[in-house]
Amino acid sequence: MTTFFLGIGVGLCILVFFVLYRVVFGPGIFNRVAAISAIGTKTLVILLIIGYLYDRIDMFVDISMVYALLNFIGTLAVAKYLEMEGERK
Amino acid sequence: MIHISDDIIIRTLARILVPFIQLYALYVIMHGHYSPGGGFQGGVILGASMVLLLITHGYGETKVRFSERGAVIFSSIGLLIYSGIGTLCLVFFGNFLDYGKLSTLLQVVPAHARSLGILGVELGVGFAVMAVMFSIFFDISTSGELPVDE
Amino acid sequence: MSVSSVLSILFMIGGFFFFFTATAGLLRFPDFYTRLHATGKGDTLAVLLALIGISIHEGITLNALKILLIAVFMFLAQPTATHAISKAGMRRGLEPWTKKEEEQ
Repeated sequence: MTTFFLGIGVGLCILVFFVLYRVVFGPGIFNRVAAISAIGTKTLVILLIIGYLYDRIDMFVDISMVYALLNFIGTLAVAKYLEMEGERK
Repeated sequence: MIHISDDIIIRTLARILVPFIQLYALYVIMHGHYSPGGGFQGGVILGASMVLLLITHGYGETKVRFSERGAVIFSSIGLLIYSGIGTLCLVFFGNFLDYGKLSTLLQVVPAHARSLGILGVELGVGFAVMAVMFSIFFDISTSGELPVDE
Repeated sequence: MSVSSVLSILFMIGGFFFFFTATAGLLRFPDFYTRLHATGKGDTLAVLLALIGISIHEGITLNALKILLIAVFMFLAQPTATHAISKAGMRRGLEPWTKKEEEQ
């Protein structure tokens, strides 16, 4: 069971590297914001798998909940800023 | 001046989620001695909930609940709690922030008095950090312009 | 291999499959709005399946309840963030991709 979760975790890390291509080369800022939100979602699952591997999952649950909150609020704030600057011009 | 968002989905979801985020922040402050958390982290989450209210409902509706003047008062109250507990330990013939000497005031054993002293100090830090986070975000986002009707 | 272990493995494999297809969509689709479809829907379902898989493995404890609460929050918050960023793109005037006719 431990090796199975380790394999899933390594696979998710490789997927994060693939999404980084879109963060660096995405034409324009909107592609970059969508890709960063996707990276945050994958990081949440990786944190829980690391907590299971170290056998202290009750510590890592609080950390991943906080990261989900901050990812959501950050995406909303960036969307509001990009929308408002367009109208002022 | 931050305007209200004219999208009903974002407004409704922010109105549903803000009380639960604040309840979670209070949980993080209280359980600082056992799980990851404490005063500063809980204060940041509380400030983030105020920022969520500000960017979805605008400054006009947030001013009723938590204005910029309220942020100044809250940061001062947080600092007063922190240094007040420290000076209270000085009055009872101890060092600064020596919570064991508070056991004669609270009628408990010194170990229990230390635990209660730490909890009080974390609450003070949480209040101060929440007010400062809100104030920094508001000043940067409006770039120094004061609201019109104040 | 008890029943809860087999169920947990099935849910985790399903979650990893949807993560993989969402990333493939993010890299290969031609326009911003189509990429937002891939990452908004695929990532939400994948996170839900993965979190349910981890919580089934833990049994009936307090940690499993907290992980299910994270899953409910992600189910509410991730589509809202996708909606907000796509509306910002529309207001700034990003044009959707249309299929050009090929010249023969």
